[in-house]
Amino acid sequence: MRKVAIIGAGPSGCFTAQGLLKARPDWQVDVYDSLPVPYGLVRYGVAADHQGTKGIARQFERVFERQGARFFGNVTLGREVTLEQMRAAYDAVVLATGLAGDRVPELVDDGATPEGMIGAGALTRALYDHPDAGDLPDIGGHVVILGNGNVSVDLLRLLAKSESELEGSDLSPRATKWLTSRRIDSLTIVGRSAAELAKFDPVMIRELAKLQAVTIRVADLPEGEMTDAGQEKLLSALCEIDGLSTGPLPITFRFNMPLQSIETKDGKVTGLVAGRDGAESEHLPCNALVTAIGFCCDGRLGRDAVMSGAEDAEAGRIAEGLYAAGWFRRGPRGTIPENRADSLALAAKIVGDLEATPETSRAGHDGLGLTCETVDHAGWQRLDAIEKAQAMAGRCRTKIPTRSDMLRLAQKIEELK
Amino acid sequence: MDITILYGTETGNAEMLAEDVQSALEDAGHEVLVENLSDVAPADLDVSRLHLVVCSTYGDGELPASAQPFGEAMKDAPDLSGLRFGIFGLGDSEYETFNMGSQQIEEMLVAAGAERIGERVTHDASGDDMAEDVALPWAEAVVEAVGADA
Repeated sequence: MRKVAIIGAGPSGCFTAQGLLKARPDWQVDVYDSLPVPYGLVRYGVAADHQGTKGIARQFERVFERQGARFFGNVTLGREVTLEQMRAAYDAVVLATGLAGDRVPELVDDGATPEGMIGAGALTRALYDHPDAGDLPDIGGHVVILGNGNVSVDLLRLLAKSESELEGSDLSPRATKWLTSRRIDSLTIVGRSAAELAKFDPVMIRELAKLQAVTIRVADLPEGEMTDAGQEKLLSALCEIDGLSTGPLPITFRFNMPLQSIETKDGKVTGLVAGRDGAESEHLPCNALVTAIGFCCDGRLGRDAVMSGAEDAEAGRIAEGLYAAGWFRRGPRGTIPENRADSLALAAKIVGDLEATPETSRAGHDGLGLTCETVDHAGWQRLDAIEKAQAMAGRCRTKIPTRSDMLRLAQKIEELK
Repeated sequence: MDITILYGTETGNAEMLAEDVQSALEDAGHEVLVENLSDVAPADLDVSRLHLVVCSTYGDGELPASAQPFGEAMKDAPDLSGLRFGIFGLGDSEYETFNMGSQQIEEMLVAAGAERIGERVTHDASGDDMAEDVALPWAEAVVEAVGADA
């Protein structure tokens, strides 16, 4: 029996496990995560008010429940176990740890992040109760969101929603209070490229038309017709929301505004200067700056060096018996469906590679000699049930926010037996 | 009864649902094939079998990726008279174009002469129901309607 370890229980790791076990139900597939709980960005990245999108987790449940994959939560590669140990214990190891770092504007020196500036990844982790997240920042007044992708739109939408519009989400009482007690005077979303080249999904732009307390203005729209159907679609979505007025909060879209500098006073953000070379640059005063300009490696697993040395990065093969999936492989691009297609293709590649090599006897999980506390799928199901049962009014779930509580509650029932 | 379930999917949810419907119908004694729309051409459809179509919606009301080649081929569709089908849609009411993917497939099949059995039933990913709790009664009702007819 072949044994495969997948490092990272987010969507790419789980889809890889699904594909492997669909082709080879007889193989042992073990999925490890550094958190005690699985599903990565489905749990901590997909917006709290997009519960329909989180429905893919039901597929992943089946990978463990019916397809026979095993989950080992609370195991960090590089800490509890080395990559060399993993590779010795398994026929194949798949790195699917994603990219958790926030890209920072080039003109900001690391370590000199001014007060009032926060990366989108850090902010969403704090909002969605990620156990390793920092505190929610004190932002308010005039808020600028830098970046023109779906992450920016998610944050824009959440910051613009009133309490009743958050019904059905899984936001905690703390995050709800933070979102609805912000005294936000304006929200401005600033992108470097032209409107038609923005990375927004048109369907998410249209969704903004449902906001109940906003006045939207879309500035810097191009004149004339687009020849590209995708660009035309995006522009028509932007035109549709332009002028929408359902309430007092002003939302402004700005395009063609590459960042030139960030202005600070006493270590606090006071504004930014943006604009095209040659054109007159503009000064946009703000009290808070949320950067949503993409994700990068946060240093873990030396990802950039690993991928640049890969045998076949396009196919996800790093070396014999070592593979990469999802954002770890392809960079921080692509939605869940694109990464699913990638993961299923990778699973087929791994099956082909392993079937073409003579079978050797590997120890698998037992060969790792792990001494740390781990959470298995049954433990996760206990946590899942607790989170649903303790959901506050108007919420579908209230997450357990700390590792220690996750570990304690995942084991609880076994101790009682 | 000989039944073919066709699914159009983008995230895998419609595929999972198609497998659930297959299991339930097999348990009821039917012979059931499941095929991805990406692997099926309109000319291959066997009119002697009941077809159950399970299709999601993606992007701005578009067909999901796995149904797009089929949708293209249906522009030049053969005569599908005699083909009986039931249709089930998956969507998310967060978005305006909720469930337009299944609607497109339905319209294409009807325009080619196929007969829809029962109403098109849809599931809302943002609603409270599990997809299979809506889809299994739908599938049973379609099968029953065809059985009563035979």
